[in-house]
Amino acid sequence: MSARLIFGRVFSNVIQKASYDRNKLTCNSLYARFLSVQSRYLSTTKKKVKNIEKKHCNIGTIGHVDHGKTTLTAAITKVLSKDGSAKYVSYDEIDKAPEEKARGITINAAHVGYSTKSRHYAHTDCPGHADYIRNMISGASQMDAAILVVAANDGPMPQTREHLLLAKQVGIQYLIVYINKVDLVDQDVVELVEIEMREMLSDFGYDGSNIPMVMGSALKALNDDTSEIGVPSIKKLLDTIDNYVPQLIRDLESPFLMPIDNVFTVPGRGTVVVGTIKRGVMKKNDEAELMGFGQNIKTTLSDIQIFRSSVLEATAGDNVGVLLRGMKLRVVETGMLLCAARSATLSNHFTAKVYFLSRSEGGRKKPIFSKYSQQMFSGTWNIACRIDLEPTVDMMMPGDHGEVYLTLLESMVMTQGQPFTIRENNVTVATGIVTGTLPSVDVPNGKLGKVVFNHESK
Amino acid sequence: MKQKVKSYSTMILQLVRRLHITPVCQAAESSLLAKLRKKTGYTIANCKKALEMNNNDSDKAEAWLNEQAQAMGWAKATKLAGRKALQGLVAVKYDKNHGALVELNCETDFVAKNDKFQKVLEDATLACYKFAHTNLQSKGPITKLELDSEQLGGLTADGGKKLSEVLALFIGSVGENAILRRAECWKANSSDVKITAYTHPAPSTPRDYSTGKYGALLAYKQPNDVEDVGKQICQHIVGCAPRKIGDKDKDKPSKNADDETCLIFQEYLLDPSYTVEEIIQNNKLEVVDYVRFSCGEEAEEEMPGFEKQPLDTVQTLQ
Repeated sequence: MSARLIFGRVFSNVIQKASYDRNKLTCNSLYARFLSVQSRYLSTTKKKVKNIEKKHCNIGTIGHVDHGKTTLTAAITKVLSKDGSAKYVSYDEIDKAPEEKARGITINAAHVGYSTKSRHYAHTDCPGHADYIRNMISGASQMDAAILVVAANDGPMPQTREHLLLAKQVGIQYLIVYINKVDLVDQDVVELVEIEMREMLSDFGYDGSNIPMVMGSALKALNDDTSEIGVPSIKKLLDTIDNYVPQLIRDLESPFLMPIDNVFTVPGRGTVVVGTIKRGVMKKNDEAELMGFGQNIKTTLSDIQIFRSSVLEATAGDNVGVLLRGMKLRVVETGMLLCAARSATLSNHFTAKVYFLSRSEGGRKKPIFSKYSQQMFSGTWNIACRIDLEPTVDMMMPGDHGEVYLTLLESMVMTQGQPFTIRENNVTVATGIVTGTLPSVDVPNGKLGKVVFNHESK
Repeated sequence: MKQKVKSYSTMILQLVRRLHITPVCQAAESSLLAKLRKKTGYTIANCKKALEMNNNDSDKAEAWLNEQAQAMGWAKATKLAGRKALQGLVAVKYDKNHGALVELNCETDFVAKNDKFQKVLEDATLACYKFAHTNLQSKGPITKLELDSEQLGGLTADGGKKLSEVLALFIGSVGENAILRRAECWKANSSDVKITAYTHPAPSTPRDYSTGKYGALLAYKQPNDVEDVGKQICQHIVGCAPRKIGDKDKDKPSKNADDETCLIFQEYLLDPSYTVEEIIQNNKLEVVDYVRFSCGEEAEEEMPGFEKQPLDTVQTLQ
């Protein structure tokens, strides 16, 4: 009897689905059609997305305008274009890169991409201090490492100190020095430049004696000169970067944290929240807290699913759906965070770095004072928020950037580096990133304007 | 026999010569170079040249470098002259009856943060401030002297050098184009006119000298028994950038409060529920004149047919 059933099933399938596109059919899907089963149950290999992607690094050049930053960038792309791992970007293309507008903010930087054997690099130039901070706050640029370009005939300039100050301020840990134009001077001058640079780097808190230095001539390399200071110097520089800058790993040690992107009910099972895990590892039946908008609800992870199939654990980077035990749908809002129990604290008071869009970028015309209250938007949620300036700062003009205090109407969990924008009547006036969490402050009767602070001068 | 002696002597001579330029001697020269560079801060290439031209005498090399620096500064300044220089700072220095407002530009804001730049700016502002204590007097409540790049360059700094020379030295050392863009030197002609100034960002404690990206000078009259709000009005001018004071009889407020260009009709920055006119009336203040600089505002085109006159021939200044 069962044989007849099977035969009947197969027969009806064949009759129904008469038209196949031969090219699209694989063995699995053919069987699937015959047996009217979903094809994914037949596939045996689970996709391992993580291991295939090449590792990534953000790098940039800093230095005096005439010392050869742009020439070096062009030379790197040229040398790597020979292997096919980059597209050659000429000096003129980099130099005259048009101003881009990202989310209304003018970005004055040329972005170039290239790959070595071990990594893919996103390379940016650093034309100015304020420009770079602005790009960083708005999320357009990031530097994990930097190449400091110094010409041997000039040596370090007075403003090289300011370049190093920026690197320190922004938190760049890995600096490589490229001593350029060595063909114009003698060896003893090059050695002197090296010594001076090492001293200066130590002055700024870098390990002067161990910072790698590469000598060469970017111009010669750009002109395909194969002597030691030409193309080989560029290859040596790239090797040094590959080996010296370690790969930044996804944080797997910390307690897990997942911002909620979406929430829905599965009939018969309960409330499921969806998001991408920001850090840590979550396991089935872990204790968790759902935090945000003044709420802190304890719950348990009853089930975790990736691509609609249950798993026992999920790690940072995975996009998951989590079934929360005993959670009511109406309690959950996007913007809340699902964290490991007792790992995060709610607060309504934070420090942040903010950039106010200039008038020409569509921002405000008039300056901002403390007690400035507007809507803050982050990800998919928004909340009323009040900005207060440092006690020593009178006001902030459009086009300025600086550290401010944020006070939210309700307590939330915000992680370091979390980006947000401030909108006035639906027009973006400021963009920022959270830098730290402070103890909550009292908001009397939900009126932000009445909050009183006691910020000690730092 | 003679030939043998000759060949031996040349060999000995060569040997001695080779001994003379061994690494030991080179190292001694290198450390001289390092010391000279550290002491003077001039580029390594120039320090090396100085030593070569002065037989490795450090003191003579240093004197030579200082002489050359001025000439090389001029050369560099000429070479870089065309480059856009819109970064930099504005500085003010004032007292009750005098005020100076100066703008100094450079190419990157890295240089604008550097202390050599700060020193040049301070020198220039001090020179303008001294200049404001001029004997020249015009009709009207204040004497206003507007200086452009050339005229600014002609002023003398404290050390005796002209500002243009100081600037050229600076250009030589940082390798970027720098311009003394413009300045305003004001003097109150009567004791009831007061002068105040404001820059943004403002220093944490009020000082008579400050720098920032924006700056303004304000001349005003206020009786001494009323609270002095001059500084606050100056701050308003920096923040809201009015184009003119405005005349109640002639000018009308604009429809959109945000676009208001007359000072008196603008909403007061520190308390938008009042207009500036109400504030100055309540505080019995009379605005005489003001000027606002924003660093990097496009330099105005030279008007055709306009001849710049050297300062000491200008008679009437109004």
